[in-house]
Amino acid sequence: MTTAADIDSTADPVAPRRRAWWRLLLADRAAALALFLLTVIVLAAALAPWIAPHNPYASSRTVMLPPVWEARGTWNHILGTDGQGRDILSRILYGTRTTLIIGLVAVVVGGVLGSLLGLLSAFYKRIDPYIMRLVDMMLSFPAILLGLALVAVFGPGVVPVIVALAIATIPDCARIARSIAVSVMEQEFIEAGRAVGLSDGTLFVRYLMRNCISSIMIFISLRFGQVILIGAALSFLGLGARPPMAELGMMAAQGRDFLLFAPHIAVIPSVAIFVIVLCANMVGDALRDVLDPRLRS
Amino acid sequence: MTHKRPLLATLAASTALLLPAFAAAQEITVVREVDSNNYDPQRSVARAAAEVLFMMGDTLVSLEPDMQTVSDGLAHSWEISDDGLVYTFHLKEGVTFCDGKPMTADDVVYSINRWVDPETASPVAWRAGDVDEVVAIDDLTVEYRLNAPFSDLLYQLTQSFGTIVDRENVEALGEDFGINGFNGTGPFCWVDWTPRDQMIIERNPNYTWGPSFYDNQGPAHLERIVWQVVPESSTRTVAVLTGQSDITQYVPPIAIEQLIAAPNVEVVRSDEAFWTYFMGFKIDKDPVADTEVRIAMNLAVDQEAIAEDLFFGMVEPAFSYVSQAVVDWDPTLDDRLLRHDVDEANRILDEAGWERGPDGIRARDGVRLAPVAYIFAGSTWGGIAEAVQADLLQIGVAMEIQAFDATVAWARLATQEFDMFGMSFPYITAGETLNLYFRSQNVPTPNRMNWIDERTDELLRTGMAATDMETQLEAYHEVLGKVHDEAVWIPIFHEPMIIAHSSAMAPVVPHNNYGAGLYKGMDLRFLD
Repeated sequence: MTTAADIDSTADPVAPRRRAWWRLLLADRAAALALFLLTVIVLAAALAPWIAPHNPYASSRTVMLPPVWEARGTWNHILGTDGQGRDILSRILYGTRTTLIIGLVAVVVGGVLGSLLGLLSAFYKRIDPYIMRLVDMMLSFPAILLGLALVAVFGPGVVPVIVALAIATIPDCARIARSIAVSVMEQEFIEAGRAVGLSDGTLFVRYLMRNCISSIMIFISLRFGQVILIGAALSFLGLGARPPMAELGMMAAQGRDFLLFAPHIAVIPSVAIFVIVLCANMVGDALRDVLDPRLRS
Repeated sequence: MTHKRPLLATLAASTALLLPAFAAAQEITVVREVDSNNYDPQRSVARAAAEVLFMMGDTLVSLEPDMQTVSDGLAHSWEISDDGLVYTFHLKEGVTFCDGKPMTADDVVYSINRWVDPETASPVAWRAGDVDEVVAIDDLTVEYRLNAPFSDLLYQLTQSFGTIVDRENVEALGEDFGINGFNGTGPFCWVDWTPRDQMIIERNPNYTWGPSFYDNQGPAHLERIVWQVVPESSTRTVAVLTGQSDITQYVPPIAIEQLIAAPNVEVVRSDEAFWTYFMGFKIDKDPVADTEVRIAMNLAVDQEAIAEDLFFGMVEPAFSYVSQAVVDWDPTLDDRLLRHDVDEANRILDEAGWERGPDGIRARDGVRLAPVAYIFAGSTWGGIAEAVQADLLQIGVAMEIQAFDATVAWARLATQEFDMFGMSFPYITAGETLNLYFRSQNVPTPNRMNWIDERTDELLRTGMAATDMETQLEAYHEVLGKVHDEAVWIPIFHEPMIIAHSSAMAPVVPHNNYGAGLYKGMDLRFLD
């Protein structure tokens, strides 16, 4: 998200100078809180091997220990233990890492490929109908179904899920990128660029891409939350991460069997997914509010 | 106001639905985890099929709840020739099928022939022994002639595969036999089957020939039994707690304590735990081809922790490949069984030259100790495999788990793709288990270990054909010792039969024949 802003602040030849974007962002209390939470979550996930209190894969020999605020809870296992006696807090830390990596890689790969397709189809009108029909085809294919198909071919694992999510991200990004690029293509500076004899490459990269990238980045950041949700859903169905690797969706699925007796095993990872997605969406929304030139005027 | 009326209507409708359940007290609903693919006794090996077939049909002989005593079935008595080749069964008089037609010796002959006929392609034809011919001497006498003695025959004849079927019914229904109907001689008759949902059976009012070990020889107390499939374990628990289901053996171990505490539910248990869970090795696949590696992996797994943590002490940790309570177990093996000892496991692997890499996983000559294990998808095997995986990680073995849905798992387990597999099976004797899993002709399935050993085959033939107990025990004990010493399996636990039932029902005696806890259901009844 910071990269989005960097590029945005240096490469927007038409927009007037404005107040620092992050001041605007922090002025929105809810967004600031979400950003803070998201930073904490990302840091915690990144530092999981150093801050996790227990080995997330080893059983503590006390199963289904409730979290500390319940009657039998202990400070040793703050969020309790799961059906195999593993520390839930440690698994949440490691699981968040897996979940974030899946979401991030999928959204970046899918976002870059999708945006390129969209920009190209706006830039070269000849290939526009072909690309857009391809995108329409991809749009009509649900991500979950695609994930199921890929897993059937490659077997369950993190990589097929990332591929499925990336592919599912492509059509949306392509559509958005194209619609933004088409309006940019009508601007006079593009015509001016052509008039002075700039090459296609220069025109594409320096004039078109730079003018679209902030809007596209905002869309991608909004998409991040969705991708995490679908990724967790795929893992919940047993298609994603494989044991012993921890993943939030998979942890929720495993807790389902204990719902009646130890609801915290399923509820805690579900809440974690909820918080991550909510924060990601709120930050994405706020970023759009402060960065999108069309909304700002 | 407008949307209040439909709500009231729904309430009225649901009350109306509940009422008959209270009125008809002689009907029970049994919830269970899975359905069978069909109810053809000679063709289905599913426990779900056996459960219903035991009630819809009868076998020549039956098995008492102690899992050792053979009792009467359709035959009231039988004789075995001295050479063990001819069994003569004397049938009970007045036995009729559900449609009222009398059952005769010819039906028995037809049923056994159908079982062993290669055209039937029964996956369990071997269980009938090496049949020469089955002959009806008169209407009530059957001679079962074998080419070679088969000491397990009577036990095998108590299985649902030996259910006596009606030839006309089989021929009339053709491919739909056991799918659209089934005419048996059992205490209950086929009413309706909705696959993966409900199996409904109704009392046979003429039934009077139940096995003598039951208090009631017939007709059954219950008028109607509904077998309801409920895949989610917590939903089944709730169904029992709320009275939607009257009885089930499919309650998760985690729920047992709560069910015991519930005033409206009773929990009964049979310790004849003749259903064993194990993980087997393909003994010719690279990472697990070494006996030492397999022994070390056996030592690493903490069966007691699994039984305690995953199954709340409701199962019996297993160190032997069959329950030590079977008739033909070898007690001298008791001291040789591999028990949990991580230090010893590490020492064995260190000595054998398996060195830990930077990631803690052992390797030797470029072979990493990372066997691939195929298991059935679902919470039971998922939990077991993850616990075993965590245990193995301690000794530097990275077991990789691949779970398959039951619909594809059997086919994947018949391949040579994997190094380890998870499996569970019902049995009555050790001999039966050894003959099933360790005969070289049974490669690739059920002998998924690729255990090909001439001596074993010879011993198994001897044991199977033995006419005296001593020869048989000697042969089977040698095989038992061999496979335990070679550590071809990691036994995990023996599962006892636990049944939860409504307090309104009379105490239930759990059975365990082929894991069907209710068996023929003759004594199931509500308290007055």
